[in-house]
Amino acid sequence: MKLKLVLSVSLLTLSAAALPRMANAEVAPLDLVQPIADYKIYVSENLETLVTDTKAFTDAVKAGDVDKAKSLFGSTRMSYEAIEPIAELFSDLDGSIDSRADDHEKAEKDPEFTGFHRIEYGLFTENSTKDLGPFADKLMADVTELNKRITDLTLPPEKVVGGAAALMEEVAATKISGEEDRYSHTDLWDFKANFDGSRKIFDLVRPLVEKEDSAFVTKVSGNFDKVDTTLAKYKTADGYELYDKLTEDDRAVLAAAVNTLAEDLSTLRGKLGLN
Amino acid sequence: MTTNDNKLVTTRRNVLFGVGAAGSALATGLTTARAAEKQGGQVTDAPVSDKTQERQSFYGLHQAGIVTPRPAAGMIASFHVLAETPADVERLFRTLSSRIAFLMQGGTPPELDDKLPPADSGLLGPVVPPDNLTITVSLGSSFFDDRDWLAPHKPARLSRMKAFRNDALDADLCHGDLALQISSNTPDTNIHALRDVLKNLPDLMVLRWKQEGSVPVLPPKPDGAHESARNFLGFRDGSANPDANNAALMDKIVWVPETGTEPEWTRGGSYQAVRIIRNFVERWDRTPLGEQERIIGRKKATGAPHGGGNTEHDVPDYSKDPEGTVTPLDAHIRLANFRTKASEANLILRRPFNYSNGVSKSGQLEQGLLFICYQADLEKGFITVQRQLDGEPLEEYIKPIGGGFFFTPPGPQDESDFVGRTLLQAAGHDVVRKS
Ligand code: HEM
Ligand SMILES: [Cu+2]
Repeated sequence: MKLKLVLSVSLLTLSAAALPRMANAEVAPLDLVQPIADYKIYVSENLETLVTDTKAFTDAVKAGDVDKAKSLFGSTRMSYEAIEPIAELFSDLDGSIDSRADDHEKAEKDPEFTGFHRIEYGLFTENSTKDLGPFADKLMADVTELNKRITDLTLPPEKVVGGAAALMEEVAATKISGEEDRYSHTDLWDFKANFDGSRKIFDLVRPLVEKEDSAFVTKVSGNFDKVDTTLAKYKTADGYELYDKLTEDDRAVLAAAVNTLAEDLSTLRGKLGLN
Repeated sequence: MTTNDNKLVTTRRNVLFGVGAAGSALATGLTTARAAEKQGGQVTDAPVSDKTQERQSFYGLHQAGIVTPRPAAGMIASFHVLAETPADVERLFRTLSSRIAFLMQGGTPPELDDKLPPADSGLLGPVVPPDNLTITVSLGSSFFDDRDWLAPHKPARLSRMKAFRNDALDADLCHGDLALQISSNTPDTNIHALRDVLKNLPDLMVLRWKQEGSVPVLPPKPDGAHESARNFLGFRDGSANPDANNAALMDKIVWVPETGTEPEWTRGGSYQAVRIIRNFVERWDRTPLGEQERIIGRKKATGAPHGGGNTEHDVPDYSKDPEGTVTPLDAHIRLANFRTKASEANLILRRPFNYSNGVSKSGQLEQGLLFICYQADLEKGFITVQRQLDGEPLEEYIKPIGGGFFFTPPGPQDESDFVGRTLLQAAGHDVVRKS
């Protein structure tokens, strides 16, 4: 694969001299080539799904089918949320695809407020697709552009490995409150995708860490399992319950798991000798 | 012109260095200002304090931070606790205790590889100063209610705070399984401590709410006398507090009794009531002084009671004032303490801080009192006193919006011990004292 070649080249530039002392495990830079290549495939697959799902979603919006658009909202976002640390490398697109009303001075009324959450606002708060056409077109164009840019991108290993923690930091800082999908309350779909995306990264580098620190690996996967078990309670036939169904106790369980994962995964880069 | 200039200077000098106490005080002020100028301080130089090495002991029959003199900065942080099993609760108590022991003692956190996040936030520098820190651990009623194996060991008077008449409680500022009262000389030391605890216990504790507060600092008095700090209503707060240096009195007022219905493990502990009480300070500042003083029941400047006495340490004699002509019958201090033989059972030890949080939606200052008090019996103490206060004229200027009731377990005996050990043992959990 052409893709792999690009990656190996970039990794080889991590010469031994450029690598200071390993924090923990003695992981050779080359050991990371395969996990990163595998991750790139994971990203590509998610992007493909994102493009397809966004097409269906924006088509429904443009066709004025409020119910269908609503039903597609939660699932369409998942492939984006799973690879958010990579998508966020392009802050212009992340802003126009996934920003929230409070990222903008005039909130919902702000002309810069576009993307998923702008459409979510129209669908769930105004219960209408009126005036959403241009936002749908823009979202589709942005997602297509994102796919294109990421395909050409050499994934920086520290961004990939750091992404496992970054996803947890996102959840901890702004999602556990239910403020991400505030109009639709489909936050649990996002959670699931964020956790899966983080776990994917962890699982890919896991063999490299396991040798040196198996207790760490056990603890982290234990917390991922706890999250899965908790989220599974809220699974429905076609997705997840609305966020307001989450009990206060389960929210605390998730918050603690997220904080602990964020704390533990913050050492992952160091454990792999990455800066 | 020259003479004129000279004259002017002379006149100003005369004013500045004029005879009398005021004059010499000003002169001293000037000298200090000049000295600072000489040292060539820079704008962002850290302010200095000779109190950063002040240290309180974590060990003893009682936890620190209750009868400990209240320092300038305080905080209450309330948590949801995830530890369910005895083993996890023990890990929680032990970790908490070892973090508190380190933070109160001060010292150098371990140095880690620079590819890892550092062990300490570093906000107090590479060597953590004690700075008079105390961290007091308390347990809410839900901590017991939500754990079958602990429920039978709940302190007899511990309940979940219910709204009182004037309350407008915000659910996001109320209750909690566990509360930390963090106090020290500076807000930064408190924040450092909180961040350390959060970082070390992410899987067992989730922060629910916190409120920081402060009390105004005064210069030391030449005669070594003490005076109470003022709250945001401008009144001295704490004047009539019972004497915390009187151990026998504290045994009666603050520490749970050795006889009675309290479980044995609570010995040396106390009940903590926390209230976040907003003050409508703009309105208060637009209230005539005389009315303010009638509402509180004391003089604003001195803190003295009405009808005699010049200092805050004087006490009113209500037996000579049955009609309330001197101290109105509904004055805050009169309702808070009837000063009868019987009302001695309702005494409490107050340890509040002032808080200031920003601006309300209506453009008013969001500030008030982080009221904290300790007592041997929550019902006879805070709950009874607050019921007596219900309907008081002060209510027009205050609105309780949060808080909770907690039990503060006894302190750890020594380094091998930890806060909460007696509870675990009472619940039949084997605890090994590591030395
Ligand atoms: C924002 C709310 C409050 C303000 C501004 C306030 C202010 C004051 C002031 C200025 C005094 C007189 C000086 C002193 O002895 O400390 C006082 C006394 C006192 N307050 Fe409060 N207080 C507040 C809330 C409470 C609450 C909630 C309680 C308990 C339920 C309470 C209980 C007492 C007691 C027991 C005294 C001493 C009375 C005495 O023994 O003479 N206060 N308070
Ligand atoms: Cu997002």
